[in-house]
Amino acid sequence: MNKQDFLAQLCSGLHGLPREDVEERLNFYSEMIDDRMEDGLSEVEAVAEIGNVCEIISQILAETPLSKIVKEKIKPKSPVKPWVVVLLILGFPLWFPIMIAVVAIILSVYIVVWSVIISLWAVFASFIVGTLGGAFSSVYFAMCGRALTSLSMLAVGLLCAGSAIFIFFACLAVTKGVIWLTKKTAVGFKHMLIGKETV
Amino acid sequence: MDIQLKRGLLDVCVLAAIKDKDSYGYQIIKDMKPYLSLSESTLYTILKRLETAGMLTVRSAEHDGRLRKYYHITDSGLRRIEEFKEDWKEILSIHRFVVKEEENE
Repeated sequence: MNKQDFLAQLCSGLHGLPREDVEERLNFYSEMIDDRMEDGLSEVEAVAEIGNVCEIISQILAETPLSKIVKEKIKPKSPVKPWVVVLLILGFPLWFPIMIAVVAIILSVYIVVWSVIISLWAVFASFIVGTLGGAFSSVYFAMCGRALTSLSMLAVGLLCAGSAIFIFFACLAVTKGVIWLTKKTAVGFKHMLIGKETV
Repeated sequence: MDIQLKRGLLDVCVLAAIKDKDSYGYQIIKDMKPYLSLSESTLYTILKRLETAGMLTVRSAEHDGRLRKYYHITDSGLRRIEEFKEDWKEILSIHRFVVKEEENE
């Protein structure tokens, strides 16, 4: 691949980013390629040393905050025409509730996902409480001289402790999984926003 | 390596590469090569972060009929290097403690 192809691919891959950002990056990579060629490498070798364009684009997207991409996306490309403004105002009763509904749906999905995690941890907490309760009542009944009840309370306590340890790892795994999934979704969303225009 | 730790280390490495005289992207990568390999995109992110933090300034100068960006370290950047040296002494002493504990086991 030559320098021009490399920069063209990079440019189209970063289409959704603010123009100044893209230009700065293109200048940076262009300088890097030129400096390598000055060092004695051929154009193709210099570009090859920079690395795979797709990987570079992915890395840049992963590092760019989602808010920046969305802001660029909704920024009008050309000055807003008067009839668009009129339409926006007239359509307000229609699009505003829809927008609220969409935001509410996204928010509720988030809440549902996190409530699963919270409820799992709540189960964990209740087992811990059960363990402590079992231990205390075991000591209490032992002091009252009721050995059999004391022993059964100890058994309940141990059972709770065992379950708590078991469920702790399950909670940890689910929490990590959800965090990983959230990150993946964010990156996927960025690709979706940008990808549309490059195709 | 821990990502936060690595990020901090790379920042100081780049500052060290421009400490004695102003340098440009490819020169920084070449200077660091014997010690660690750094990709262009990583370097870009580090330079941007250091510029925002006020630890370096950028100027464009003509070279061979094209523009090249030169990076200049600021006082705050120099201070960061000194802080790093101090921090490192502490880390080394922690390391000595950890290694000693393992030997005693």
